[in-house]
Amino acid sequence: MRYISYILALLAGAALSFEGAIYGELGKTIGKLETSFYNFFVGSIILGLLWLFFGKGKLSYAVEAPKWTLLGGVLGVVYLTSIVISVPFVGVGITMVAVIIGQLAMSMIVEHYGWLGSKKSRINKEKILAIISMVIALVLVY
Amino acid sequence: MGILMILFTFLGGITLSAQSAINGTFSRKAGTIETTLLTFLTGTMFLAIFILFFGNGNVFAILEVPKWQLSAVFLGVLFLLFIIAAVPKIGVIATNITVIIGQLVIGIVIDNFGWFNSLVIPLDMKRYFALLFMIIALYFIYRGNKRASEETTA
Repeated sequence: MRYISYILALLAGAALSFEGAIYGELGKTIGKLETSFYNFFVGSIILGLLWLFFGKGKLSYAVEAPKWTLLGGVLGVVYLTSIVISVPFVGVGITMVAVIIGQLAMSMIVEHYGWLGSKKSRINKEKILAIISMVIALVLVY
Repeated sequence: MGILMILFTFLGGITLSAQSAINGTFSRKAGTIETTLLTFLTGTMFLAIFILFFGNGNVFAILEVPKWQLSAVFLGVLFLLFIIAAVPKIGVIATNITVIIGQLVIGIVIDNFGWFNSLVIPLDMKRYFALLFMIIALYFIYRGNKRASEETTA
């Protein structure tokens, strides 16, 4: 069953690329910040509907949960804004490489120490090799 | 200026990883759809304030743009839903690496065909090798994760 999660994650990445290409066009007309606002705003509406019909969890947990677990939305905005600001200065290629390396380094550290409530999973040889292969792939793409 | 910007984007990548870890934790108690909804709602609130102060585009032009440009919001929703579903099962790093690979592969395909008015960059030898290394990375992360979970259960 594990491999289904890998397929979901692959699809998520594919969706992100299509999204980026399409929003690039939209951003030219309505502005970059406005584009991400559109995304979050209409996304909230879609999810509100999904939640009404299919939500089985407990949204009210937001009130009792530790406050730091509510930071997901803000962090998404920081991520997006950092990209929007940086692209005109250093270009898309370098921006993406920097983002991805930050993402990989951070995930490895977070998981190694089990920070932010993630399941603790030690760094091992295979994981380091995976990251080296990713860096080589990145250099080859750009 | 350039190096400062690169550091800043590096921070952006760090926040993205932190986001997937935090959302994964929250979803264990609250549920996948609920976590995604909350992320979108709080994101909307922050961006609303942000735009009031720094926005210089025109949100209302949304009614005039071609509709296909608006369809990307469904992809944005799927992206977050899938990530929040995957993190509790396979962990932060495997999710992030796999997402990046999906992203790069489709990016290469879009570049090759120049879809959505993007720049046409043909799939050359270098990019074929890049794809190969991504497959290798995927293999290693799968193996590494399996070994790590075997060690913790043993």
